[in-house]
Formats: sequence, structure tokens, C-alpha cells
Amino acid sequence: MAEYVNKRTNRGAFAGQAPFVRLQAISKHFGKVRANHEITLDIRPGMIKALLGENGAGKSTLMSILSGRFQQTSGDILVDGALTAFHSPKDAIKAGIGMVYQHFMLVESMTVAQNVLLGQEKAFLISPKEQEREVAALAEQYGLPIDPSATVSSLSMGEKQRVEILKLLYRDSRVLILDEPTAVLTPTETEQLFDAMWRMADQGKSLVFISHKLKEVMAVADEIAILRKGEVVDEFKEADVPNEAVLANRMVGRDVELALDAQPVELGATVLDVQGLDGDGLEDIMLSVRKGEIVAIAGVAGNGQKELVEVVCGLRKPVRGDVSILGLEWHDFYPRPPRKGRSLAYIPEDRQGLATCKFVDLVDNFLLTTRHSFTTGPFLNRSKAVDTTIEIVEQFNVQPGHIDADARALSGGNLQKLVIGREFFRQPDIIVAENPTQGLDISATEEVWQRLLEVRKRSGILLITSELNEALQLADRIAVMYRGRIIDQFPKSDTKKVEAIGLMMAGVTPE
Amino acid sequence: MGLELIIPILAATIQSGTPILYATLGEMLTERSGVLNLGVEGMMIFGAFFAFLVSYYTGNPWLAFICAGLLAGLFGLAHAVVCLVFQGNQVVSGLALTILGVGLADFLGTAYVGVSAPGFSPFDFPVLSAIPVLGEIFFKQDALVYVSFLLPFLFWFFMNRTRWGLALGAAGENPAACFAAGLNPVKLRWAGIYFGGVLCGLGGAYLSLAYTHLWTNNMTAGRGWIAVALVIFAFWRPGRAMFGAYLFGGIMAFQMRLQAVGATLPSSLLLMLPYALTIIVLLFSSARGKGRQAPAALGVNIEPGE
Amino acid sequence: MLGFTIEKRQEPLKWGSFFIFLGALVFSLGVSALLLAIQGKPPLEAMYLLWDGAFAHDWALEDTVLKAIPIFLCSLGVAVCFRMQIWNIGAEGQYALGAIGATWVVLSMPDAPVWVLMPLMFLAAATLGALWAIIPALLREKMGLNEIISTLMFNYIGILFLEFLVYGSWKDPASFGFPMTIMFPDTAIIGELFGRIHWGILVCAGAATALTVFLKHTRLGFEIMVSGENPRAARYARMPYSALVVLVMGICGALAGWAGLIETSATLNRLQPTIVVGYGFTAIVVAWLARLRITSIAGYSILLAGLRVGVENLQLELQVPASFTGIMQGLILLSVLAGQFFNWYSFQRSKRG
Repeated sequence: MAEYVNKRTNRGAFAGQAPFVRLQAISKHFGKVRANHEITLDIRPGMIKALLGENGAGKSTLMSILSGRFQQTSGDILVDGALTAFHSPKDAIKAGIGMVYQHFMLVESMTVAQNVLLGQEKAFLISPKEQEREVAALAEQYGLPIDPSATVSSLSMGEKQRVEILKLLYRDSRVLILDEPTAVLTPTETEQLFDAMWRMADQGKSLVFISHKLKEVMAVADEIAILRKGEVVDEFKEADVPNEAVLANRMVGRDVELALDAQPVELGATVLDVQGLDGDGLEDIMLSVRKGEIVAIAGVAGNGQKELVEVVCGLRKPVRGDVSILGLEWHDFYPRPPRKGRSLAYIPEDRQGLATCKFVDLVDNFLLTTRHSFTTGPFLNRSKAVDTTIEIVEQFNVQPGHIDADARALSGGNLQKLVIGREFFRQPDIIVAENPTQGLDISATEEVWQRLLEVRKRSGILLITSELNEALQLADRIAVMYRGRIIDQFPKSDTKKVEAIGLMMAGVTPE
Repeated sequence: MGLELIIPILAATIQSGTPILYATLGEMLTERSGVLNLGVEGMMIFGAFFAFLVSYYTGNPWLAFICAGLLAGLFGLAHAVVCLVFQGNQVVSGLALTILGVGLADFLGTAYVGVSAPGFSPFDFPVLSAIPVLGEIFFKQDALVYVSFLLPFLFWFFMNRTRWGLALGAAGENPAACFAAGLNPVKLRWAGIYFGGVLCGLGGAYLSLAYTHLWTNNMTAGRGWIAVALVIFAFWRPGRAMFGAYLFGGIMAFQMRLQAVGATLPSSLLLMLPYALTIIVLLFSSARGKGRQAPAALGVNIEPGE
Repeated sequence: MLGFTIEKRQEPLKWGSFFIFLGALVFSLGVSALLLAIQGKPPLEAMYLLWDGAFAHDWALEDTVLKAIPIFLCSLGVAVCFRMQIWNIGAEGQYALGAIGATWVVLSMPDAPVWVLMPLMFLAAATLGALWAIIPALLREKMGLNEIISTLMFNYIGILFLEFLVYGSWKDPASFGFPMTIMFPDTAIIGELFGRIHWGILVCAGAATALTVFLKHTRLGFEIMVSGENPRAARYARMPYSALVVLVMGICGALAGWAGLIETSATLNRLQPTIVVGYGFTAIVVAWLARLRITSIAGYSILLAGLRVGVENLQLELQVPASFTGIMQGLILLSVLAGQFFNWYSFQRSKRG
């Protein structure tokens, strides 16, 4: 990853001013889940505050409260020292607080200018020319280049993000919250974003930068608060920001707990062979997986991993190139429904929407991909499936294990364990696991990792992950994806290349 | 066929297409706000009946026309209550609205079947009607047709050049974005349903005030459903809606013409034409309409607390 | 805003749907009575006549059950489609095509023995009905044509086709110009079983049983359930989604076709346009009230059939038009749709002043 140089010029001008916003002992509960607990935080003018924490640490929830989308269960929000209640984003916008969400809140069919001015138009009648001029001027002021007359659906992710920021600037927001803004950006776009952030801060805006990426936080922030399990565990002012290692330990709090000892296993037959896969944003993908190994695809989300997985798992037809699974061509493998033995198992990232049905009980969810193992003639042997589900639930430690409860009653981790148990039941020869531990707590993560390592003895595993640590812990080989291409592939033992993964993820091939 | 034969058919085309145009724009407005309302047929016939009724008792067709629109819009709000407040299924609720509307109009109108009421008659539009051929087709119509000529343009202008129109469109494309921008997508959808219903009611009113000057049962005869189909055909754009409406006007005029000259085809086969055409036309547009899609949030309810 | 907030329930309200239906029924009866009162008809007497004509006598109950038979069959099919979130509103047309198919068999071999004629009638009715549903299904899956529009247009086309036949080549020369076919021979008539109830009711029982077994105990039934619940998950699990769509539409068409056959053969004994009275639409109301559950469909079929029969009584006694049925059906459906909200949500007094 490129080194960032902080280009702030005007930080001193705002030092020591009273905070715009103070969050005082904010707690938020979703049902029984405690997302935020007693969080206190100051947001000061001209400062970039980083909220650092892992997935599920409660960063996004906290900021959704500040931007009026959720309401806190308890605690106070003070704006300019005055107690304020936000009932909707409208109230927050009025108070000068705006948020750029991870999933952009844009109307795709409208132009940039229309989006920026949505709900803020000064007159009933609208002149597109006038709007576009206004937006262009604003973009100029903050160094956010964009074509105001372009339709949003035609923009890149980075440009869409600029539109979101312009929306907030147009509303004269004093506090801009950026939720994982670099997750969808290319390295160049990331640098442009940082430049814009510094410029905004120099003009007196407060910025809140939510991230779990240490380097970026170190580069861009003036102040850092670390969240873990819904609580602020540490906070640093400008000068006292310690080095990366300290931050990492504070954030993760698990450096010792989760180091796995993954001994290599003897390799078997090739189970997946991708030769020159092209199209749908993919470029000449060459990849093979053998029994007994875990091949990790590392890379920033949105660089073609999803398309690759969909082709391999039969949800998308390959445009060009050969994909063979267990020795069969894609077109010969895929009309067949999933059966026991000689099959592929897919553990998708979207456990709730894709891998399971929310309003259906555990047995039926278990039957989803195992149904052919419980079929005699046209009939489905449900009582046998019930017994097997009970076994799987026990074996994979799914809590609570009431098999007649709907899937929605399970937490993310337990749902994932159910999915894994189900997919392993068919004794697949190849497993595709897509961010299998995203949003899981540590113990669930560890269980999932152990399961994947165990099953390696009889299957080949393609692991797609945006967490570098996961790739390093589990993989035998690592492939790095960038813009639809595999930049490089190498065994984990190649320490030199392993060290350069960060660069590769940004599209730089080291020599 | 010579011009003297074709011109009356084309003039009749405009006339037959007008009620469909009103209704199509009505449904289009509702759908642009993100709500699917299959109650068009019900709202149309509701409007047709009340237009007749008001005209019959007051003798004022303009008053009747306006009342029909306002009342049909109110009737359509049942859909808003079910879908926006109570999160009901939009498909089924719209169907229920049609069943109810057709029933109500028939029930209330039984006593008036065949009774006539004052309405709108064709007149020569100053100056323009003197244009050869075109003048005879387009400008020897009644006042409601002339109003309808302006509607697609007004619709476009509203959606693209006014603050409310853009907000309404945002509610149909991305309610969350709309909400985050400080607007209230639910309120916007209420408006979309109401004013869409008004336009559907006006389309119905055309049938009892201008197309005929009397009340008969089942006056709409599926025109509301054709309007629903035309919204898809038109890719949610008002200009194409006008084209589609006149296409159907043409087929209806043609079918009546054939019946009038005593064609040997049985009437039931002729009556099939518009319905068969609906399917054909939609097949063409679905084959060609890749990428031109419905409002992104069409048919998706906004859950409370989100 | 009004001092209330909306809360989502953790679990759906138990027994909720029954009370919701009761509430909806009371509300709808109330509004209907009001409408009658506006027209100067005695509302209380009308409510009594409605009950009296539908359920209070043996003959009334028989009428109700007879009408419930075609509604029940159509509704079974509609419910299966709706479960898959396929909005087939073409049961009316499929019913008409079934009647046409059965009549075609009778007219082409009027002298065949009953054991040839009956099975062929059932086969033809199911085939034509299914065809009328499968075409829209294929158009949907292959060409992306919205099935709501296509099935609805197929209703109009199917019904007009029926009229075309009955006004044309199928017209009985001895009918004095009335649009109707000849009277069916006895071999083509579904006979009475007890009272005036014919053995079409056994067809209902058979179909319901078979469908229950199919949906609950077969793999295809399971796949249909999942496809309706979460189409993405169905694709993920590599279920043959398009084939399932064609299958459920075919089932619905065949069942509606049988409804048309039974009505033609058992009730009218001949084909005439008056056979089309909106059972296909009532079936949608029934399916939704029953929340797509087969056992409940039986009960709601009888209730809504009773409503139709009761309104016929009103028609005779108070000259209330038949469209009154539509009003009540529309009202009940709208209010039930609104009421189902309370299965999952509740209003709570808001904590904030």
C-alpha cells in the first residue's frame, strides 16, 4: 500500500475550540443485542476523527445514531453544548451533521446535480443548468471533480462517493461522517478522497472517518477512538497517536487467541480448474484448486471476486474461457442439482438472503441443498431429515438448537455454523467459502476456521476473503485479485510475496 | 381506402385513446412514486360513474369532470391506507380495489343504466382545425381531448422540472435515499397514489361524459388493465404512453368501424383484439426494453421504523 | 406523531388471522349495510336475508356448497401460484377454457359410454385449462412478460373465445337463437351424490388431498415452498425455478379447468356464457383470506360462496344488484390485508411525550 503524506496545512487554526458535537454515554440495543454501550465522544471543528474497530464493533450503529437514522436507547447528543434529539435524518441535517453511508443513498436514475439538491431545491421550478452550475462550483471549492450533468448510474464508485460528499457540503454540514469510505475505492481514488478530506478539515469542517484499516487511519486522522464490542476502549489526541502495532492490539484484542497452527496436508486431485475465464468484468483468470489445499483469494471487495464466485458456483454463466469442476465442464456440471458425493458446496457471504430462508425452520433450511439425499421417488423423507438436522446442530454447536425454530432466530455465527454443517454433510470435494467469518465474534470465527482446516483433508477449498489475516491464517496458497485480474499467485511460504500483498491489492506488481 | 375514410377512423382513434391516456398517466404517476396500484380499472369506473352522476344532477360537465377525479383519488386512497399504513400486499390490494370499484359503480349505477347526462361535444379548435388532414384528426375533438394533449408534457415537466416531481421520483427509486435527504417517502407515496387515482378517475369520466353521454354497466371494459400494461410498454415515460394509448385507440376505432360496416367476423373475435394486442405489444417492449427498467423500488413497501 | 409508535413483534400473533378476518367481516358488513341504507333498503333486514339465504336452510346450504365447489378448486390453484409469488389472476380464463375443453369432448362424441366420456372430459378440461396458464408462465420465464397482465388478458380472450364458440358453431339449432350448446347427454353429467350435492365434491376432496401430499411430502413441493419464500435461495440451491413456475401455473390451470368442467356438466348441463360469473376472482379473495393454506381454503370457500348465495336472496327480496357481492368481497379483502399488519406489528404508546 502506498504511503500517504498528510497534506494538512491549517490544522492549528482550530485547536482548542469547543466541540461541535458531544455524544454522552450513548447506548443502543437491538432486541437483546447490545450494539453500543455507554459511548462518549467529542467531535471538534477542523479535526478528522477516526473511529477504528473491527466489523461488528458498533461503529456504524453509533454513526447512524448521530446521523438520525437510528435513535439511541439511552444517552444524550449535545450539539454546540445544547441537548438535542434527532428523530430523523432531517433533524441531523438541520443540526449540520451528515453521513456518507457504505451503501450509497443515491437515486441512480437522476443526475449528479439532481441528487445533490434533492430535497434542498430553493424554488418549486427547477432549472437543470442552474443546478449544475451550483454543483460544479461547490465541487471546485473542495476539489471533488465531477460532471454534474452525468446520470449517477453511469458513475464509478469513487465518483458516487463524491456525490454523497457534495450532498453534505451543499447542506452546509459541519460534521461529515464517512463510513468505511475506502472499501470501494481504488488506490488513486483513495488518495483523492484523502486530499479532499484534508481540504475540508482545513476549511473548518469536522470529519469522522470510520475504518478498520490501520494504515489509512494513521495517515488521515487527527484523533483516533478505538471501538471494541460496542465500547470505546481507547482514545488518542493529535500528538499522542501511538504506532500501528499498539493500535492493532487495542483494536483486535485477540492477537494471541487466534493464531492457528495450520499444518499442510497431502495434496490430491485437481477439483477446480479455471482457464482463461473472461468477461463480466473478469480478465483472463487462471486458477486451480487441488484436494487438500486452501486457496485464498485476497483483495479489496468489488474487484471481481463476486463474479468469479458466481461463475464457479453456477449462478452465472461463464462468458469466455473454460471452467471445469471435478473434471466436468461447467455446462456438464451445472444442470445437476446438488447431490451427495462429487459435489461442490458454496458458503456464501450473504448467509441470510442467499444461503438460508429467514422464515423457514432449521430442518427445511438444512434440506435446502441436501434435499436429494432425503428423496425416495418423488417423496421427501422429512423424519430422516429431522434426525440428521439434530445431529448436525449438535455436531456443529448451533445455538439455540431448536430445530423447529425459524432461521431468523439464529445469530449470524450460529447461522453460519448451520450452513457449514449443511454444506459439509454432502461431503463435497470442493468448497467455496466467501468471507466466511464476516460479522462473527471471535469464538465463532475460530470454530469456522477450525472446520475449514479439518475438512481440507478431503476437499479443496477456495476461500474468498477481504481480511488479509484470514488469508494468512488459513491459506496454503494465496491469489491476489485486482480489477478482475489475478495479479499474482504464490504459496504462503513465499514470505517475500506475502509481505507485498498489500501492494498487490492496490494493483502494484512488485518485481 | 381514401382519405375521407381514414380521417374519421383516425379521429376516432384519438377519441378512443384519450381515456386510456389519462389512466395510463395516472398509473404511471403512482408507479413512479414506487407503488403498484392494480386498482386502475376500479378507480376508472368509479370516476365514470360519479362523473355521470354529478353531471346528471348539476348539468355541469366541467364540475362533473373535476368531481370525478377528486372522488376517484379519494377512493384510491384505500390502497394507500392498506399498503402505506398497514404494509399490505400491493398486488392483492390493487385487485381488491378493482373488485370493489367495479362492484360499487355497478351497485350504485343500476338505477341509472341507459340514462343520459350532459357532457362534452366536439368543437372546432380555433385556427388549428383549419389545418388540412391533421386539423380534422386532432382539432375537431372535445375539450377533454385538448386537455389530454397537454398532459404528457405537463407530466414530464412535473417529474423533471419541479421540486415535488423529483422528490416523488426519488421515493419510487430509492426511498432510503429520499429519507436520508430529509424527505418523507411515505408522504410522497400518498401523493402519488392520490393524484394517480385522480387521473384514472378523469379517464373514467371521459367515458361517461364525452365518449358517450350516458351511464352503462361495465363501461371501462378492461381499459384500466390496458393502462397498467401500457405503463410497462411506455417504460414509465409519458411520451411513449401517448403513443401506446393511441395505438389502442386505433385498434378500438378499427374494431368499431368493422362492426359498423357489418364485417363477417363475429363480434367476440373483434372484441379480443385489444387484449391480444396488449400481450403482443408487451412482448415487443420486453424484447427491446433491456436496461430501461421500472422504478427501482416499485412494489416494495416501506417498513415502519426503517 | 399521534403519541403512538409502531413496534415489530418478535413472533407473529397467535390466532391472529382468525380474529382479523372476523374484524374485517364485521367492518365490511357494516359498510355494506350503510350502502344499502343510503339506497333506502332496510339494512338489518338485508343482513338477515343474507344469512337466511346462505346458511339457514338445507336448500340454502346446498346452494352454498354447490357454489363453493368451483371456487374451492380455483382457489387451490391460485394459492399454489401465490405461494411461489407468481401472481396468476387468470383462474377465470382457465376455468372458461376447462369448460370449453369438456364441452368439446361431449360435442365430438356424444354417444360414447360414460367410462370413455368422463375421463376424456376431465383430461381435456385439465389440458386446456393448464395450457391457458402455461402460456403466460412460459412468456414470463422466456420473455420476461409480466404474468399479472398476461393472465388477465388471457381471461378476456378465453371468455370471448367461449362466447365465440357458443354464439357460433356450437350453438344448439333448437335454442331459438339463445347462445347455448345442446343439453349434455346423461353420460356427460356429473350425477348427484346426496341431496343436490354432486360428486364433484369428491373431486375437490381428492384434489385437496393430492395437493397437500404433493406440497408437504414431495421434493418438488418443498422446492415450490422455498422458491416462494426466497427465490434467491432457490437459485442458490439450484432448484429448477422456471420449471417450477410452469408447474404451479399448470396445476392451477388444470384445477380451474376442472372447476369449469364441473360447473358446465353438473350445474348447467350445457355450455353457455352465463357460466362465467367471477369464480376465478372470488378464488383469489379466498386464497388470500386463507393465507394460502389448503385447509382454510375449504372454510373460506364456503363462506364466500355463502355470500354469493345470500346476495342472490337479497336480489330476489330487495332487488339488490348482484354486484353487491363484489363490494363485499372487495371490502373484506381490503380490510383483511390491512388487518394482517397486526400479525407482525403492534401500536405502542410512545415513550416520548
